[in-house]
Amino acid sequence: MDVLDQLGSMREGKMSRRAFTRSLFASGVAIAAVPMGGRKVLAAPEDQATFFTWGGYDIPELFVPYSEEHGELPNFATFGGSEEALTKMRGGYVVDVSHPCNQALPRWVASDLFQPIDTSRLSNWPDVMPGLVNLPGNDAEGGNVWMAPFDWGQTSITYRTDLFELEGEESWDMLWDERYKGQLGSLASGGDAWWCGAIKAGVDFENIDTPEAFDKIAAVMREQRPLIRTYTDDTTTLEQALASGEMVAAMTWNASATLLKAEGVPVKFAEPKEGALTWVCGVMVHKDAPKLDLAYDVIDSLLSVESGKFMINDYGYGHSNAKSFEQFDSETLASLGLSSNPGEILNAGHFQVPQSQEWETKMNGLFEEIKAGF
Amino acid sequence: MSEQSIHTSVPAELAPPGKVGRLSRLMHRSERARGYGLIAPALTFMLCAILLPFAILVVMSFWTATGFDFDTSFSLENYKQALERPIYAALLERSLWMSGIATVAAVVLCYPMAYFVAFHVHRHKMFWIILMTLPFWTSYLLRVFAWKVVLGYEGVINSFLISVGLIEEPLEVLLYSQSAVIITLAHAWAAFAILPMYVSLEKIDRSLLEAATDLGDGPVMRFLRVTLPLSLPGVISASLLIFIPTTGDYITPALLGGPDGAMIGNLIQKMFGPINNWPMGATLSILLMLCISVICVLFILLTLFVRRRIS
Amino acid sequence: MSEESYIHRRNRPLQIYAVIFLILLYVPVLFLPLFSFNDSLYTTFPLTGFTLKWYEELWTRDAMWAALFNSIKVGLFVAAASTFLGIFAAKAITRYRLPGRGPIVGFIMLPLVIPLIIFGVALLVLLSRLGVPLSLYTVSAGHLIVCLPFAIATLIPRFEGFDQAIEEASADLGENGWWTFWRVTLPMVFPGVLASFILTFTVSFDEFIMAFFLTGTQPTLPVYIWGQLRFPQSFPSVLALASIIIAVSFVMVILSLYINRGAQFGGTKGSGHD
Repeated sequence: MDVLDQLGSMREGKMSRRAFTRSLFASGVAIAAVPMGGRKVLAAPEDQATFFTWGGYDIPELFVPYSEEHGELPNFATFGGSEEALTKMRGGYVVDVSHPCNQALPRWVASDLFQPIDTSRLSNWPDVMPGLVNLPGNDAEGGNVWMAPFDWGQTSITYRTDLFELEGEESWDMLWDERYKGQLGSLASGGDAWWCGAIKAGVDFENIDTPEAFDKIAAVMREQRPLIRTYTDDTTTLEQALASGEMVAAMTWNASATLLKAEGVPVKFAEPKEGALTWVCGVMVHKDAPKLDLAYDVIDSLLSVESGKFMINDYGYGHSNAKSFEQFDSETLASLGLSSNPGEILNAGHFQVPQSQEWETKMNGLFEEIKAGF
Repeated sequence: MSEQSIHTSVPAELAPPGKVGRLSRLMHRSERARGYGLIAPALTFMLCAILLPFAILVVMSFWTATGFDFDTSFSLENYKQALERPIYAALLERSLWMSGIATVAAVVLCYPMAYFVAFHVHRHKMFWIILMTLPFWTSYLLRVFAWKVVLGYEGVINSFLISVGLIEEPLEVLLYSQSAVIITLAHAWAAFAILPMYVSLEKIDRSLLEAATDLGDGPVMRFLRVTLPLSLPGVISASLLIFIPTTGDYITPALLGGPDGAMIGNLIQKMFGPINNWPMGATLSILLMLCISVICVLFILLTLFVRRRIS
Repeated sequence: MSEESYIHRRNRPLQIYAVIFLILLYVPVLFLPLFSFNDSLYTTFPLTGFTLKWYEELWTRDAMWAALFNSIKVGLFVAAASTFLGIFAAKAITRYRLPGRGPIVGFIMLPLVIPLIIFGVALLVLLSRLGVPLSLYTVSAGHLIVCLPFAIATLIPRFEGFDQAIEEASADLGENGWWTFWRVTLPMVFPGVLASFILTFTVSFDEFIMAFFLTGTQPTLPVYIWGQLRFPQSFPSVLALASIIIAVSFVMVILSLYINRGAQFGGTKGSGHD
């Protein structure tokens, strides 16, 4: 704040006008020289790796081993959806590590923006559950992988046990329940909502790219739209609305239910009879990662048992490190809707099937129209 | 301070007096050039920063998206889509309506305030002006967010109404509706409305009001015949300063609008985000600019016409 | 002023209106600080208890501090650059009879009346076509577009407000143009310069719409806050942060308006209090 200090001393008369003009001139030169003088003036010291992730993963709890080793946290950049992230990186945005999910994996790989992960450089790799690694499109040459799995979970319905009168079994019909018109909420991103619509419409994920599937899902989503209070990518909004009773049920991820329970709100994360939407997310390394060694430390830190404990206990998500689950008894895990055998959870639900970029653009465009009422 | 400069000696390099004279004459003749020279850096920057991006935006609006890449051959497909698919026209129309209402509300509500400070505050005018414009300088994002707290289901208004017994269940219409967006826009841009109206009211020659009174005009007639027409320039600039930026807003509808309150800005933002159709986003931006321009020109012509009729 | 007599007669309703207006103007904003002291994750009534823990928590948020410093860097750069360019532009506009002055000024002021989303989007398209990576530089460039009109608008009344004869005297005494400018003009318009610096800093510091499109790896503070709105655990400390930002913005704006008070009425009265 040199300039402000000088302005201050100028006003207090500590500095002669001549000295002031001289320094003003100097600062003018300095400013003009910024682009030539490199990053010193404008850019932060970039000694750490950059992790481009969903908001909420940019917290110290997930980087305890990393910060112990390097004395600082990695740099974070956050996004609200992985499509947004890929768009930004296609626009030339370079990071070290990013955080897609299984459904986007083949498209991310096909973008030629990433390099395979050399698993031998990760100390926690032997503990990673193989079931999460063997995803379609994840095998790179030489036994390496494109995406190191990190977190997994479900998209389902969080509902107020005291306000939502359940008729029979838990089901996706809950989010299409006319009785609660205007008291239902949904995630705004097609990456979740459209797939849940497919489950509701009875569309097999293998056929989700057919025109009939589009028609069927669109019809279901249009039917739901008047019942929805708001679509949002902002989970806080859904959680607050559930906490206050403004909404009685909403489409959320595991974490919302876990957090609300911790706050003492009577909610349950439903196990719909049609099955929930399940996913695995992980981390990928950018092909031009400027801090490649640190990128591996970021990944190793995410895969550590410390991070796993936090993910399971505080967010209610599954973790990819088998040892993380040993920290909890099966009762606690069951109450979180988790299991130390991810296959049990993932296969019980509907696991997303990767789609083409054209499909994504078409789906998102159509879903936006539906959300806007067309 | 002039004294100081008087005593400063002329730098020795400029020694021969004749030369100085010629130089200064040249300087005077080229005064225009010096003026342009001074404004050149700012103007050049603005030219580059406004025209270049706009040019590429226009060009891109004639491209089409293919997956992640662009088909750069000339095509009117986006404009055709924009005309054919009902969502675009409807969102555009809704945005213009909502901004229009917010603008009228802000101008009507702020006019008495500007009038008050211009005519009835005689001491501490500065204090009042600061007080009125201060919220404008704080983060727009946070001001919009504050309204979410106010209008929320368990927000300020609902908890107040429940505690005084007017309602039993919280009103749900407050949040996630077009009116929530309109209220927030009008509030967030109020300071922009006050300043230009205040300036033009302040400029009104008080003797004109005296004259009107002397001619037997009552307060209402005096206001309609003198004050209002003379303050119209302020009203026009206030209206434009609010209307134009708010049509492109996407934060307010995203936070407070709900499904029915979405505006064209939300769609443009999504075209560059999850929908990933940049050319369509460019097309919508161009269409928005065109609509705004047409409406503004019509509005200015209308007010000029009205003003001529009044006076 | 003789008209004061009749004006004074009927100002009571207006006064009441003014007070209500101001209350409504401020109250929504003031709820943010209120909830930042509330002992609950959620911003709902009734309040559950007083706490300072959200403020304490701020100290541990490295990402927030990084974002804060990014915003300060961008703000200082933009404030300095726009004020610097603004000084010359304002002088040219007020001192020289330039043919085409109206259109030029109108053009420079254009960013005030173009939806910022369009600027953001257009710049994003341009930068990505040129292959320029997004960074704090691109955010700064965007903010400069928004701030330059503010700088010039703040400076013009200052340049209009002081006696040109002093400049002329200096020139007549053989001072060259630059010397006159540094020794005479600049000190006289100094309050305007300072006000412009602070105002443009504030505008840049709070700007979100363009920054959202133009930010690269290093988010500015509003972009960081936008990202944090999704996450309830961090939410109350965002409120705490918001309260601090609002308080600081208030102080800075009051300061700049106070410093530049002579020019506020477009008048010629105050110029010499440097």
